[in-house]
Amino acid sequence: MEMAQGAELAAPAHGRAPALAGWRRRVVRPYLLLAPALVFLFLFTYFPIVRVLVDSLFLKQLGDQAGRFVGLANYARLFADEKFRTALLNNLVYAAYTLPATIALAIAFAVFLERSTRLNALIRACLFFPTVVPLAAAAGLWIFIFLPNGGLIDYYLGWLGAHSINWLGNPDLALAALSLLTVWKNAGYYMLFYLAGLQTVPGDALEAALLDGANSWQRFWHVTLPLLRPTTAFVAVIALINVVTNVDHVIVMTHGGPDNATNLILYYIFQTQTEFHDPGKATAATVVSLAALLALSLGGLGTLERGIRHER
Amino acid sequence: MSRFLTDRTRSLILASVLASGLAGAAAEAATSIDFYFPTPVQGPLARELTRIVKEFNDKNPDIEVVAVYTGSYDDTRVKAQAAVAAGKPPGVALMSANVVLEFVLNKQIEPIDDYLVENKLDPKTFLDDFWPAVRPNATIDGKIYAIPYQNSTPLLYLNADHFRAAGLDPDKPPATWTDLVSDAEKLTRREGDQVTRWGLTMPSTYDYCGWLIQSFTMANGGLFYNPSYGGEVYYDQPSTLGALQLWKDLAFKYKVMPQGVIDPNQVSADFFSGKASMVVLSTGSLTFIRNGAKFPYKVAFMPRNLRNAVPIGGGSLIAFAGLSPEQRKAAWRFMSYMTSPEALGHWSRFTGYFSPRKSSYDLPEMKAFIAEHPDALTALQQLEYAGPWLAVYDTVAVRKAMEDQVQAVLAGKEEPADAVKAAQKAADEIMKPLTAKITASVSP
Amino acid sequence: MSARKAALAGAGTALLVGVGFVWSTPFLWMVVAALRPEGYGPTALASLAPDFVPTLANFELAWQSADFLVDYANTLIVVSGILGVQLVTITLAGYAFARLEFRFKEALFYLFLLQLMLVPPILIIPNLTTTVRLGIYDNLLGVMAPYMASAFGTFLMRQAFRALPRDFEDAAVIDGCSFLALLHHVLLPLVRPTLVAFAIVSVVAHWNELLWPLMVINSPKRQTLVLGLASFTQASEGAAEWGLIAAGTLLVTLPLILAFIAFQRHFVNSFMSSGLK
Repeated sequence: MEMAQGAELAAPAHGRAPALAGWRRRVVRPYLLLAPALVFLFLFTYFPIVRVLVDSLFLKQLGDQAGRFVGLANYARLFADEKFRTALLNNLVYAAYTLPATIALAIAFAVFLERSTRLNALIRACLFFPTVVPLAAAAGLWIFIFLPNGGLIDYYLGWLGAHSINWLGNPDLALAALSLLTVWKNAGYYMLFYLAGLQTVPGDALEAALLDGANSWQRFWHVTLPLLRPTTAFVAVIALINVVTNVDHVIVMTHGGPDNATNLILYYIFQTQTEFHDPGKATAATVVSLAALLALSLGGLGTLERGIRHER
Repeated sequence: MSRFLTDRTRSLILASVLASGLAGAAAEAATSIDFYFPTPVQGPLARELTRIVKEFNDKNPDIEVVAVYTGSYDDTRVKAQAAVAAGKPPGVALMSANVVLEFVLNKQIEPIDDYLVENKLDPKTFLDDFWPAVRPNATIDGKIYAIPYQNSTPLLYLNADHFRAAGLDPDKPPATWTDLVSDAEKLTRREGDQVTRWGLTMPSTYDYCGWLIQSFTMANGGLFYNPSYGGEVYYDQPSTLGALQLWKDLAFKYKVMPQGVIDPNQVSADFFSGKASMVVLSTGSLTFIRNGAKFPYKVAFMPRNLRNAVPIGGGSLIAFAGLSPEQRKAAWRFMSYMTSPEALGHWSRFTGYFSPRKSSYDLPEMKAFIAEHPDALTALQQLEYAGPWLAVYDTVAVRKAMEDQVQAVLAGKEEPADAVKAAQKAADEIMKPLTAKITASVSP
Repeated sequence: MSARKAALAGAGTALLVGVGFVWSTPFLWMVVAALRPEGYGPTALASLAPDFVPTLANFELAWQSADFLVDYANTLIVVSGILGVQLVTITLAGYAFARLEFRFKEALFYLFLLQLMLVPPILIIPNLTTTVRLGIYDNLLGVMAPYMASAFGTFLMRQAFRALPRDFEDAAVIDGCSFLALLHHVLLPLVRPTLVAFAIVSVVAHWNELLWPLMVINSPKRQTLVLGLASFTQASEGAAEWGLIAAGTLLVTLPLILAFIAFQRHFVNSFMSSGLK
């Protein structure tokens, strides 16, 4: 086949048609098919990554008309910035608050609402509805829900002692409040993935377990859950992406406050660029986030691939 | 099925291209400039300003001002700067009075002096008709860079019914910090250890927080920042420390104010629902309060410790660089229309903001309004004691350096003495690019 | 079923109904608040039980405050533009990875997968510059462009194509059928559930998006619904009209809610049969 590649630019002699067709099949067609996607990937993912790497080596501050090359100084400033460290920590805490809760709830909802009764369909709709509300819109609503002295939580749960709690104004509670909003918003969405995943749990496996005398909890824990591993891997990836990229609620509700308690990495980047006019630090932060995401994805993708292979 | 989708997508893209083409063609007929503006209360104020712009467009058919409501002051700043960076600057924007400096440093706006000169007006006397308090923020390096449009000061609003019920006279509002504390203590109601009514509530979210800490600092005799030079703030001075201490004590020592960071929405909601007897809000919310309060209320000066002094707030009109000559003419006509004494007077009556022009208050409609609304008169009288708003190199970052510390104190996580030191340190760090220039330039 | 089991089942159902209700509370409140006449003291503002005469005034005000028709149109354009191009890129790329062998296949596949994590929002700063350079700043195309290649979609399609038996393609080769015809007449119908599932995910995500459109769009003529709504909820010297915000939010979310209610069964079913595992 190698010699066919050397002959490709010659006029296609019919004797060589199969070889040419082979070359076309193996080289031209795949790249042709990949081309549209690759163009966008290059323009909006890989080229920007290179850009950001380069830009992070320059310093341009308020009043400068051009940037100066400063090597790794931006990174030094970045790690010295308490807001950045706080934002990193907050993202981790936010992930810890939201991921297990959302996924556990999603599985629970899917399991309990699996059967297609009218009631189940209605409840599923209620649970899924937050997904179609833009996070920015939900955030506006939840400002009211969290309002002390008269907001929804205060009004209805006040008798539980939750009176006058300043959810968004207390640095200890603000991130938890945002996490609550996130769980409300996403659990129903992930539930859908699990509903699909449950379809793939073969009935015989469950029946076998039943015959073995397993009760419902044991059946769930030892049969259903392991078979849902590919779904869980998938949902975990989506959920993690959401944790990193969804900062609309920070933008609308708290602006990173109080005292940076709800500052998340993407918001930090956005704020550093647009409010503090420090593109050097913002791009350095972007590079650091990319590196972290890369590490996560290399780790996570391995699990994903294994999970997919596992079910097959 | 895939073919159907391709057709639909294609026609949609075609439609949008056509639409934007048509829109472009229409704009060619009139000189078009964008006008970015925030408003303090979304809804009625945004609608009114849009209506005013439409009125201008109708009266001036050869100009089309596109009014773009851009949310809060901060959002407006972000969008305007993003538009400039992308090579598509707006024509005019209504910007926080104290952020004008930033646009000058970035060379993004044009001096108003140039416009004045072009139109045979004297830059030296132009601001004479404006209240003294609003002039410093509008002038940088001796040149006028902004025309004040709407201004405010913090104001104390109080529930007259509550005052009377607590044995206080609503016509004798607390004039000093001591009075403030004692009145608030009398007004605060408790059931067991639950507070059912707060004596005082104040906003402490970003922007309001910085404004109010400046206000208290000034009332405590302090300067807060150096208005002649954008590289000096006085965060760790005793006057600032005292202000922060008062704020903290109100919540923690005297317990007349909720702890934690308070949102302005909460403040107005608490005032309306009777859960707070006194609130501090901008004069820009005066109309909103007047329309929404179902009880008699009064307004009062911010209490003093050493002196009566408050910072102004509000917004000014700025004109962007990079406009064509026709656009510049259009921008000037628009700006002078918006800032005539009549226009400013109308806007003031509608919103509760001040008119920054003294002559607005000489007009009959304004005189009548003031006579009818004594609360507007009080707000106006406080102007005598007003000073410029924090405006330094990288104002927002420097402001936030203090705000983060204040918020930490209000949440009980930081002591005022440490907070002000940390704020000063952070602020000095942020302003280094400017201060480095002067410390380095001394050479024999 | 024993009495105890029945009781447990009943309690379980009650719990689920309760959960559904609690989950819907924000929405219920939104509807009540939107219908509440203006100027009602905020004390009762949290009440879900309407004790007033409902009025559409807030909707009228909200409608006037933002150019909703333009916003709807823009959002539709963005969402369908993105989806349209995505369907093309992910189908072609997905097929390539599923069925074809070529050099650098593994490496290229990882490049695609990485984009799953290195999502456009993280790269807003450089992407903004690229958008400006390409001349699509403040333009709906600028909003759409970074999303037109979707690693998520490519991955899904690869899975979907891999799950198909090769018989169809082998038959097509023997019949001398062109690749495009094969794709169009045979393969696409077979992977339709996956395409539908992806379409739903894409539409919902981009209908709701804030940060990137916020950075790219300045002109009100090109605003999307979420941008219009976001400027609603931000006031500068702070006071909020909750009824107005609620009405505005409803106006923005209504189409999706209605679409969801209408297509709920379809939606869930397509997820189930998409082989999304």
